[in-house]
Amino acid sequence: MAFAPMGPEASFFEVLDRHRESLLTALRRGGGEPPSGGSHLASSSEVLASIENIIQDIITSLARNEAPAFMIDNRSSWENIKFEDSVGLQMVSHCTTRKIKSDSPKSVQKFALILKILSMIYKLVQSNTYATKRDIYYTDSQLFGNQTVVDNIINDISCMLRVSRRSLHILSTSKGLIAGNLRYIEEDGTKVNCTCGATAVAVPSNIQGIWNLVSDAKFVLIVEKDATFQRLLDDNFCNKMSPCIMITGKGVPDLNTRLLVKKLWDTFHIPVFTLVDADPHGIEIMCIYKYGSMSMSFEAHHLTVPAIRWLGLLPSDLKRLNVPKDSLIPLTKRDQMKLDSILRRPYVTCQPFWRKEMEIMADSKMKAEIQALTFLSSDYLSRVYLPNKLKFGGWI
Amino acid sequence: MEGTAVTVFEILRFLIIHWKCDIEVSKGALLEGQLVISIEGLNSKHQTNALHCVTTIASAGSLFGGMVLKKFLKEIQSLLPRISAKLTWTSEEGSYSQDMTGVTPFQMIFEVDEKPRTLMTDCLVIKHLLRKIIMVHPKIRFNFSVKVNGILSTEFFGVENEPTLNLWNGIALVVDSQHYASRPKFDTIESYCSRIHPVLGHPVMLFIPDDVTGMDLLGELILTPAVALCPSPKVFSNQLDSISSVSIFLYGPLGLPLILSTWEQPVTTFFKDTSSLIDWKKYHLCMVPNLDLNLDRDLVLPDVSYQVESREGDQSQNMDLQGQTLLLFLFVDFHSAFPVQQMEIWGVYTLLTTHLTAILVESHSVVQDSIQFIVDQVLEQHHQAAKAQQKLQAPLSVAVNSIMSILTGSTRSSFRKMCLQTLQAADTQEFGTKLHKLFCEITQHQFLHRCSCEVKQQLTLEKKDSAQSTEDAPDNSSLELLTDTRGQAGNKRLKRGSPSVEEMRTPLHSARAPSPSEAALGGSDPTAAPLTPSGREACETHSRALEPGRASLGSRLEDALWLQEVANLSEWLSPSPGP
Repeated sequence: MAFAPMGPEASFFEVLDRHRESLLTALRRGGGEPPSGGSHLASSSEVLASIENIIQDIITSLARNEAPAFMIDNRSSWENIKFEDSVGLQMVSHCTTRKIKSDSPKSVQKFALILKILSMIYKLVQSNTYATKRDIYYTDSQLFGNQTVVDNIINDISCMLRVSRRSLHILSTSKGLIAGNLRYIEEDGTKVNCTCGATAVAVPSNIQGIWNLVSDAKFVLIVEKDATFQRLLDDNFCNKMSPCIMITGKGVPDLNTRLLVKKLWDTFHIPVFTLVDADPHGIEIMCIYKYGSMSMSFEAHHLTVPAIRWLGLLPSDLKRLNVPKDSLIPLTKRDQMKLDSILRRPYVTCQPFWRKEMEIMADSKMKAEIQALTFLSSDYLSRVYLPNKLKFGGWI
Repeated sequence: MEGTAVTVFEILRFLIIHWKCDIEVSKGALLEGQLVISIEGLNSKHQTNALHCVTTIASAGSLFGGMVLKKFLKEIQSLLPRISAKLTWTSEEGSYSQDMTGVTPFQMIFEVDEKPRTLMTDCLVIKHLLRKIIMVHPKIRFNFSVKVNGILSTEFFGVENEPTLNLWNGIALVVDSQHYASRPKFDTIESYCSRIHPVLGHPVMLFIPDDVTGMDLLGELILTPAVALCPSPKVFSNQLDSISSVSIFLYGPLGLPLILSTWEQPVTTFFKDTSSLIDWKKYHLCMVPNLDLNLDRDLVLPDVSYQVESREGDQSQNMDLQGQTLLLFLFVDFHSAFPVQQMEIWGVYTLLTTHLTAILVESHSVVQDSIQFIVDQVLEQHHQAAKAQQKLQAPLSVAVNSIMSILTGSTRSSFRKMCLQTLQAADTQEFGTKLHKLFCEITQHQFLHRCSCEVKQQLTLEKKDSAQSTEDAPDNSSLELLTDTRGQAGNKRLKRGSPSVEEMRTPLHSARAPSPSEAALGGSDPTAAPLTPSGREACETHSRALEPGRASLGSRLEDALWLQEVANLSEWLSPSPGP
């Protein structure tokens, strides 16, 4: 006998269903999914040819007695970023570039490292094998110096070749977890069922490779912190709010977690909510899911879900729920700078409710973690707060 | 009886002092003229196994026009009582022939009896002496001939068209490296610069010990050191231990060699201690005095020579052929607020030759500080250049290997073929070699500490003077007594694309310390020389490895900036105590 998962009655999800309808309507009005710009999933032969073209250019420069150089887009420059409501942050078409010269003492090392990683990518693609960024770093840690150097160069190459990192056969290590009403098949044929009760499934490392995603979920809940995620797991939230999907990136999300969220949205078009701390860091993490990051703006189309809504913890909730002052934490100088920075970002202008919440936080100069709600009861979050928010549309 | 060599030197010394002081040569002008020295030896009638040598020193042309000959002879005889040789003047006042310009040539003759072997040694000594003189008086030429029992040998000493570094007070240092050290055996023309690049040190005042009796000076003795590596690499090697020897050259006032020769007098006790001037330990070098007094060499013989001690503790005879030589020039000059008289210069010279050790000991710390500073600078530049080169090599290797990895791994024949064709390589091995070479060539000139001569050469190619087309004078040195075997150091040579006497400019070393970029990029460019207020010898440092296209603009700009800076430093230029 099959047991139906526990969950609220159908009327519980009325508001959610209406919200979903509005999202679908907006999607249809927008002409469907936005065209994929920036990087794309290139074939192996395309990647190999691109790399060979780069080598040819270098050799031609040398033959002409000119010092070869790479032209790299300035990924981390705001002047090269534009905001589109339907996409989020993305790179402008004619962005500024910087030159990585082979005859400059300052850049010759980077020039060489780019070539080194290109040669490694070439081998990976040729042999149809994959490596993580960490693997690449450890092939010659002394040469590379630190992981950040490798990460940046890989992103630069991805941007330069206009192909996704996956196409370069470089994987990022996934740290995220997923649980709930979802099953899929991985590239190697492994069947994954995320409906596991008290445990969660690791976000797969090959998001592009998973297929046959099946879910009845009414919504996706992105949880900022692993602690909160585990708490919800312990409280059996997925079953109580079934059908739903819960996912966490354990802080700033890695690429695969973001790719999975995007894939869930693209596949199911169900509402996606975030549950983050009421602090600037949490808001920033939420913005990454929704609008993308500056450094990865060249891949925005594959990573952002502009339809995401902020479910909680809202700064206005703190006052509404009379969270005691000793559960609140004063904003640090760094928090304030971050908050000011977020308020200046282009996407906040089209989110008046978010702006208002951030202004409440700025005015009160206080922040709170989700765990602050435990002052009411240990399971207040999963038993009262979230169900009420979901039932009555308490998202912005 | 004094030897021929000593007598010749004393006379030349007197001539040059007289020339400079009494014939109103302007202070900064180089002495210019030609002297003919000839020795004729015939079997002596008074001594067995001896030659009666008649030495003639004569001027050619307008060298000593205006000199009162009788007075000159009287003065020289009073100053050189030691010379027991018969000293005569062939021309009486009023009876000498005059050339078209109305200028008076002169001739001095002295006679001594010497053993043939002594004469042979003296001739070698005289040659070395002449070389030393022309190294700082590049416009003086000597014609030296020896005739023994009818067999004649003539040699010409002159460096007129060679590059020089203008110093001060009418002397200039010849910077053609072939005079100072042999090139390493493994060298190619490409590796080393044809010039040395002296770094001038801070002038320091020498202290005269109280117990040194002698003349009371109405001025100060100033020592200015200069250091250079020879040969100077175009692209620096990365090993300080490529230095295999040190040569020290001592010059007194007016650029006269201070010590006649090391085989005449022992090396001063001061120099026997190899660390008396330079702390070698900081460079992990162990120096020992080099007592190999090989006169039979084409090079300018140093007054003091050290060798790097080998690991086994033995001294290699030919180490100077294997590595670089650190050249240290010590110029001692006399500065006075009053016009300096000839006798005063002579007195200073005598003081220095007799009490050099005591003076150097008394002034040891300031002398050592001044020299150490510039040695540190030269070797530090060396070190920085080597570091930069090492820093460059690693990434280039990575780049080359990465490209090779892609090329050799590619299955696309059109790509591989295109790459090979572009570099005109027959196979991947040749491709790799050419790739590496191209990377090195393209990147080296940008930021390696390249010898600035090459930049200057490109700028001055248009300034070749007519002497460049002069062919070598015939080599007549087949004399049995003179055993020169290689190209004549002082003979005229075909210019190798370098301009004629060229002023290399140096900044005021003491007025400012070189900036890190200058220290790093200056190569072995000369730095500091005291300057005349007129700025005639205004200096600049070509401390940047300029791209050829920008070099002329850059150097003109630097000229202007330096002239401006120098114009404000007149009070520094008056003699002052050392650091």
